[in-house]
Amino acid sequence: MDFRYTQNQQDLIEATKKVLEGKNTLQRLRDLVGERRAENTIKQTKDNGASDIWNQFADLGLFGIMANETDGGLEQPLVVMAGVAEAAGYVALPEPLVELAGIVVPLLSQMNNLEHLIQVLEGRLSVGIITPLLPINNATAYHDMFIVTSKFGGELILKEDLNLESRHSIDPLRTLAKTDKPSSLNTLADYHGAVLSAAQLLGLAQRMIDMSSEYAKNRYQFGQPIGAFQAIKHQLATAYMQIEFTRPIIQLAALQGGVVVHNAKLAAIDAAMLAAETAIQVHGGMGYTYEVDLHLFMKRTWALCGEWGDRSYHMKKLEDYLLNGELEIGTMRTFI
Amino acid sequence: MNINYTPHQKNFRAEVREWLADHVPGERLPSFDTKEGFERHREWEATLASGNWSNVNWPLEYGGRGLDLISWLIFEEEYYRVDAPLRVSQNGIFLLAPTIMEYGCNEQKARFLPPMASGKEIWAQAWSEPGAGSDMAAITTKAIREGDHYLISGQKIWASRAVFADWCFGLFRTEEGSERHKGLSMILVPLDSPGLIRRPIAQLDGDTGFAELFFDKVRVPVENLLGPEHGGWSVAMVTAGFERGLLLRSPARFQAASARLVKLYKQHKDRLSSGVGEQVIQAWMNTERFCAATYQLVSRVQAGALISSEASANKLFWSEMDRHLHRTAMSIMGAQAELEHGLDAIDNGRWLGGYIFSLAGPIYAGTNEIQRNILAERVLGLPRVGV
Repeated sequence: MDFRYTQNQQDLIEATKKVLEGKNTLQRLRDLVGERRAENTIKQTKDNGASDIWNQFADLGLFGIMANETDGGLEQPLVVMAGVAEAAGYVALPEPLVELAGIVVPLLSQMNNLEHLIQVLEGRLSVGIITPLLPINNATAYHDMFIVTSKFGGELILKEDLNLESRHSIDPLRTLAKTDKPSSLNTLADYHGAVLSAAQLLGLAQRMIDMSSEYAKNRYQFGQPIGAFQAIKHQLATAYMQIEFTRPIIQLAALQGGVVVHNAKLAAIDAAMLAAETAIQVHGGMGYTYEVDLHLFMKRTWALCGEWGDRSYHMKKLEDYLLNGELEIGTMRTFI
Repeated sequence: MNINYTPHQKNFRAEVREWLADHVPGERLPSFDTKEGFERHREWEATLASGNWSNVNWPLEYGGRGLDLISWLIFEEEYYRVDAPLRVSQNGIFLLAPTIMEYGCNEQKARFLPPMASGKEIWAQAWSEPGAGSDMAAITTKAIREGDHYLISGQKIWASRAVFADWCFGLFRTEEGSERHKGLSMILVPLDSPGLIRRPIAQLDGDTGFAELFFDKVRVPVENLLGPEHGGWSVAMVTAGFERGLLLRSPARFQAASARLVKLYKQHKDRLSSGVGEQVIQAWMNTERFCAATYQLVSRVQAGALISSEASANKLFWSEMDRHLHRTAMSIMGAQAELEHGLDAIDNGRWLGGYIFSLAGPIYAGTNEIQRNILAERVLGLPRVGV
């Protein structure tokens, strides 16, 4: 029993985090937002520079984090992917790296579709997922094809063969669309999707608390930094504590699957929403504007709370297991 | 990452389970904050020691089994699974003992640890003073060195277990004219010392779980100094780290409570509003989160990490989780919630007792306000100026 990342796992996550922070800077996000707002339409094409960062991800092998070694991947477990997802959340990455590497690649593997899997790993193909837990699809500007999930796999369909209709997100870096194509739940996608959206929420929450702490050190009122007031300190400490007690349950969910996944997603939703509300309060009026970067992280948080099972979905699952079912609980049930 | 128990740990679990099944008292013991309950719990400590179960992670030479902290977690899981008695010796075994192992000399280890393990000597904590609560560095009780003795004079308060215990450990001002964190020392004091008067304090439930201690030139030999003279603050911080961080509250205690809460909910479900179920789920979710976080913390500690500020996050989480869990139980019980014991009192008033105790959690071991300050300043880097 050693519930920590191994050194190799930690190194891989740290290296990826460094790449993401280096490539997807706040300035890049501001520029992308500027372009999108200037166009004043929901663009269903890739942004300038999107293919650069995409190629870099491919060169570094990031799309293949979970792919089998024989297929050219790194064959890392979901718990490592969760660490990468947290890093992607921390920088509010607009590109769907986490979905591709953590859900699409395992799905293509489940479907034995090596041909398209290799294209994804090489950065030549982007694939979205049409599945009941994603009533609205994101990143549709990037995708060439979609997997329509079924119970034990799915069907790959060209984007132009789907009747996609644009939808408008408050998050300026999300390109949404909806389809009437029917799909069925897929256990693998649901499991990976819930864990990885939770991990991204965790990264977003951490970033919002870090930004707010920084702001509180530099904003002076009554002759002192506002961060010296306990009213500010205590709110930030509470949000931090919730983050710290969410990370291990996400990792456990990644390792075990099953009921703990619902706990992980719920904990992440609550921790991230608390962090977002705390962050805007600490930023005061500035937090209510388009001028500080906080809004990008806050809006992404709102969006991810509803993907791969929203609060009610996961809560109802726990109701079934815990209150209406006969789930064995108590001591010695967490680690087996 | 590896979250599997070793075969050795699995065997250990089976061994714990078997022994507990044969030895755990059939009935809940009376509260250890009563005279009778205290002695019954002391007997239970002796029973535990007879099977060598007092402290499985202690070294062999002091009555432990020399096992790792994962084994300690396993022991705790089995212990709370069968609802075994609370540990009346917790101040000693969980807080003072690790401090003695870190700061004590060999003589002190040999002198104090074995009787602590057997329940022969039960320890109380004597840190706070009427004028030094959250601001512990404001301690004024003096221990003046006279030859090979200290003469202690002053007053301590909120000394848990001190009404019936045998010894206390406390922080005293040994350097005359010193201020704040400097000049303090950790000293071990027999509670039956001449000149030491204990005034029991009744808690919310009427039992005397703590006492006020009046020291009037109490003579204590210098051998009872733990750690460096005048360097007691850092010794106390180590103890507080154990208290807030890991050993005092293992996840099993709370997981057992959330399992009982689910049962309570199911019994009363028909008359409850729909939101209550979500609170029950939330309580269970929290105990699972606490368990996962503790296994991770233990994994890190076993790999050599020191517990620092995470102790504060830990204390915040378990104390607020426990209060929420018991508040939920109170809301489920409705009109029966106020019944202290006897007829119609659900589980003979155990939930009410638990709720009352949970209200102390955010206060003892350093108030949650202090813990939030620590996190904000030491982890988030917020400035200390102003309050």
